[in-house]
Amino acid sequence: MQRAWQRLYAWLDERLQLANLVEFMGKKYVPVHRHSIWYYFGGVSLFLFLIQVVTGILLLLYYKGSEQLAFESIQFISSKVSFGWLIRSIHSWSANLFILAVLVHMFSVFFERSYRAPRELTWMTGMVMFFLALGFGFSGYLLPWNELAFFATKVGTDIAGVIPVVGKPLMIFLRGGEDVTGATLSRFFGFHVAVLPGIFTVALGIHLLLVQRQGMSEPLHVAALPANGRKTMPFFPNFLLRDLLLWLIVLNLLAILAVFFPWELGKKADLFASAPSGIRPEWYFLFMFQTLKFIPARIGFIDGEVLGVFVFSLAGLLWLLIPFWDRRSARGERNRALSYAGLCAVMYIIAFTILGWVL
Amino acid sequence: MILRIRRLAVAALILAGTRVGMGADKCFECHTAIADKPSTQFAHDIHHRAGVTCAGCHGGDATTDDPEKAMNKEGNFIGVPKGDVISARCAACHADSVRMAGYHVVLPANQFALLKESVHGQKSISGKERIVQCTTCHGAHGIVPVRDPASPVSPLKIVATCSSCHSNATYMRAYNPALPVDQREKYRTSVHGMKNARGDAKVAECVSCHGTHGILPVKDVRSKVFPVNLPSTCANCHSNAAYMKPYGIPTDQYEKFTRSVHGIALLKKNDLGAPACNSCHGNHGAAPPDIESVSKVCGICHSLNADLFAASPHKQAFDERHLPECETCHGNHDIEPATSTLLGVSSDAVCSRCHTPTDNPQGYSAAQVMRLQIDSLELSEQRAQALVAQAEQEGMEISEAKYRLRDIHQARLEARTTVHAFNAPRFATAVDKGLVVSASVAIEAQGALDEYIFRRIGLGISTLIISILAASLYLYIRRIEKR
Repeated sequence: MQRAWQRLYAWLDERLQLANLVEFMGKKYVPVHRHSIWYYFGGVSLFLFLIQVVTGILLLLYYKGSEQLAFESIQFISSKVSFGWLIRSIHSWSANLFILAVLVHMFSVFFERSYRAPRELTWMTGMVMFFLALGFGFSGYLLPWNELAFFATKVGTDIAGVIPVVGKPLMIFLRGGEDVTGATLSRFFGFHVAVLPGIFTVALGIHLLLVQRQGMSEPLHVAALPANGRKTMPFFPNFLLRDLLLWLIVLNLLAILAVFFPWELGKKADLFASAPSGIRPEWYFLFMFQTLKFIPARIGFIDGEVLGVFVFSLAGLLWLLIPFWDRRSARGERNRALSYAGLCAVMYIIAFTILGWVL
Repeated sequence: MILRIRRLAVAALILAGTRVGMGADKCFECHTAIADKPSTQFAHDIHHRAGVTCAGCHGGDATTDDPEKAMNKEGNFIGVPKGDVISARCAACHADSVRMAGYHVVLPANQFALLKESVHGQKSISGKERIVQCTTCHGAHGIVPVRDPASPVSPLKIVATCSSCHSNATYMRAYNPALPVDQREKYRTSVHGMKNARGDAKVAECVSCHGTHGILPVKDVRSKVFPVNLPSTCANCHSNAAYMKPYGIPTDQYEKFTRSVHGIALLKKNDLGAPACNSCHGNHGAAPPDIESVSKVCGICHSLNADLFAASPHKQAFDERHLPECETCHGNHDIEPATSTLLGVSSDAVCSRCHTPTDNPQGYSAAQVMRLQIDSLELSEQRAQALVAQAEQEGMEISEAKYRLRDIHQARLEARTTVHAFNAPRFATAVDKGLVVSASVAIEAQGALDEYIFRRIGLGISTLIISILAASLYLYIRRIEKR
């Protein structure tokens, strides 16, 4: 058996010069320290994204992106297509786990200050992918064309509409008209399967290239150690195999979730029905949704919702540009105030997500 | 002492002043002298007897015999009241309970308020005055108490009073062209109308059902004859055993109706499509439907059942035995939901009341078979429902099968309707249609349940494989990291 593998490797090596690649990867080392665990969430995010791509392509074989047929096609996929239920359920569950993994990855990078020079572009491409992931979630949520998704999209695009000057045109662009209709579904479908994946692939390529070129970032306290005091492990095969191990565990988790908690389809959207109770966006938008609900209708002379959207936009911009204004970390100094601010942000997101779920 | 007497005198004068136009009625004296019609009628008017003078309604000064002073238009003399002023003049006393108490009369003080809210108060075409004023029904100068047979609103005269407008097609067209004008004609053919015409003042007439001053359109939910209110309106008399005693008819119809399928639909579920008393008995022409017409009455709504029955062999058999068609099996006021238990030969079934094993073995056996067939359809429907519910409970996508449960239900309803044809092959065909659908739904639901188990097994196997792979990988990583 082992001989057969060796023969196959030799055959491939002769044609692809695999030895060079293995030698290159063998020279790559990953820092080992007490926070090394967070390195794996980038890989988990990548794995879940790949699952999204594969299951998404499979769903495309049967899904029909029109007002009349979208809901029925998902019904068909779930009930008639062989393993269609599994593919759909995995697609839905991995979408949510993907956002979760990306969030963990993003905050771990933040707390480890891994965005500091020379990794500003890695952070920014990561942030672009995070925003695109939210876009994937928002556009994909509408595609089954069910009641909850329909009204959540209505509320979500309404919020976009309150942005001064650009809000209204943006809302009309997103909806394909004044209201959420079949036209909205068509363009959300287009965004979900063509526009967003296209941009995402480019950003992912740059992100991975930068990671490979620059290697893993070391936390400040590790970077401060002398060269002989730092522990490392080879990227290949050690780190890659550990990555694979985690991927297998995540795959197992996905299968269990998909079988025991199949993603519900709900009722078909009715454009003329009144909104049912309990309309809420996906969990990763809940903290913003709940905050906007708490903000008074008017604060001084400003509309409360406009102020909320403005504050969130500003926070997002600051977050995106953090490598450029966090000068202390760039100089290799500890920035406790920023860590506490990040901790407060995490606690706020968790608390408001729970509140949004409970209330 | 003198001061106290003066005070008492002033108080007496104030009290006396609250009784409008009381005291010497010089108007009446002069007009009686010339024997004009109003004064002749007013001589018998209850107001005259109570001491109300002409000035009470017409204004002016009834204490002087000088016409210039008595009918001084610069004073408060208004002449003949017109339009809404008529009712306003009446209401000046009748809406004032304190003032009415001065006449030792106990009358509701809300008649005017009710009239204003009523259809007669609301449906003005000129926008200036109500259709009906107090005098329209009660008359003007010869007003007598309602219980006086001479009153135009007394039980024996009210029909003529109401129909003076309501039977006038030309007049009614201006207010409500859709409203029939044959109520009086129908009423005369009703049991109520015939007894009323014979002088029975106890039977229902217009106001018994529609009310008096506050008559509302039939479509108004507050109306006494709005469908959900009508049964209790009829029951006011028909459930009063003492009141109904002279007529010798049962008084439990309302109580039975409230328990019936129709009563529950109408009174509890507020289903306005469900029949009220008038749907079967008629309203203005109310009378019990006779044996011949029962099926026609029921057939107004249950038309398919009535048609099937009319073409069935039972039609002739029932006619020959003078049996009312629908009522024989279903009853009348206390009609219960027509479940399958009515069919067959069990103790609660109705077929065996006529079809005994000895007298009519063929009918007996047909009823027995039909019951078995409908029972099997019911059972197969229940099984399909249970399987679909179970599959749904397990999170399986089974909406198509769930939707087709309606087809089974529909087939069962069709089968139950087909019973009225009393044709065994036709009934069997209807039942088979339902059985076929329920079998296919059951197969689909069972398939979903099998799929559910398959998924669990599949998950177990794949989890095991992935776990073995993960464990092997873990061991391999440990091995290479030990090197």
